Amino acid sequence: MRPQLDAAPSGIVFPAGVLGMSVRNTPQKTLESWKQIAGYLDRSERTVRRWEASEGLPVHRREHEKQDTVFAYRHEIEAWSRLRTKCPSEISIDEGESLPAVKSVSNAYLVEHDAITRTMHCYIAGARAGDGDLMRAAFHPSATISGYCQGIEYSGSVEHVFKWVTENGPAPNINPRFARIEIIESIAVVHLEVQHWSGKLAGANARASDVFTLLKWNGEWKITHKLFHWHDQ
Amino acid sequence: MTKSEYLTEYDGIVKTMQMYIDGSKQGKSELMRPAFHPDASFFGYAGEQLAIGTPFLFDWIDKNGPASKIEPRVVSVDILGSIAVVRLEVAGWSGKLAGSDARMSDLFTLLKMPSGWTIIQKAFHWHA
Repeated sequence: MRPQLDAAPSGIVFPAGVLGMSVRNTPQKTLESWKQIAGYLDRSERTVRRWEASEGLPVHRREHEKQDTVFAYRHEIEAWSRLRTKCPSEISIDEGESLPAVKSVSNAYLVEHDAITRTMHCYIAGARAGDGDLMRAAFHPSATISGYCQGIEYSGSVEHVFKWVTENGPAPNINPRFARIEIIESIAVVHLEVQHWSGKLAGANARASDVFTLLKWNGEWKITHKLFHWHDQ
Repeated sequence: MTKSEYLTEYDGIVKTMQMYIDGSKQGKSELMRPAFHPDASFFGYAGEQLAIGTPFLFDWIDKNGPASKIEPRVVSVDILGSIAVVRLEVAGWSGKLAGSDARMSDLFTLLKMPSGWTIIQKAFHWHA
């Protein structure tokens, strides 16, 4: 499938059903360099690098001794291009004035909403791939985790999550649903319901209810806390 | 969860939140400390500065002093088994640090411990 970016380089609102898509795609479908990512989006390398820096294009990194390499998941790139909305700074004055006030307010809300779902999809991609480092970018450096799993309380650094996800390994069938996203200016809460957890630690067909608290930090939404309830089977 | 179970949990959560409200109103962090989990976190912007960690909160409450006219509203309480989210809107904040008639929106997440519901995080937005 071609990404839907051809129409306008400045971006277009795509009210998309993200979840259906992430279920259909597997994380193995990767683009392995800036060149491939640029080719996939039919743009220059310089443009896609800028999109990563300024518009949250989901690009991941593998750390190596000499130089990091980048890669991207096709399904994340597609989700990003669907969700991509016009940034307020890109609206020209003429266009801005021609929009009714109500519309620009609701669009501002959607920009934040989409940015939050992009952050959450970074978490989901890591969970699905069984790669804790993949989801690191979704979290604030001081983020913490709390909750019970099989009667034992886990509270502490988010590093526990990264470790658990990596040890658990791939969970290709997880089905995440956004039960609720509530935004209060600089903070937000996301209730995520995840069915069909699997893996070495999760077992088979498990279910988790997660509550994430997010903070808008340096212009990006970052998870500051993950609170989970693991449903006993 | 049956209706009476839900009400029991709801009451437990509101009781914990009341400790936070009492501490805020009287400007005494000692009143709210028992409501917080030992590993609780605290996040939000105080002006331009990012405030992190419950020591910041407790220190702020003590330095702010009494805020007798705060109007707390519990906007929502969501219970998901052993965890809960409370949205609290507090108008009429006053005190040495809060100024006068300020407003704060809070998102509290709570964890049900053997000893009862405890606050595991407070995230706040201070309305300028």
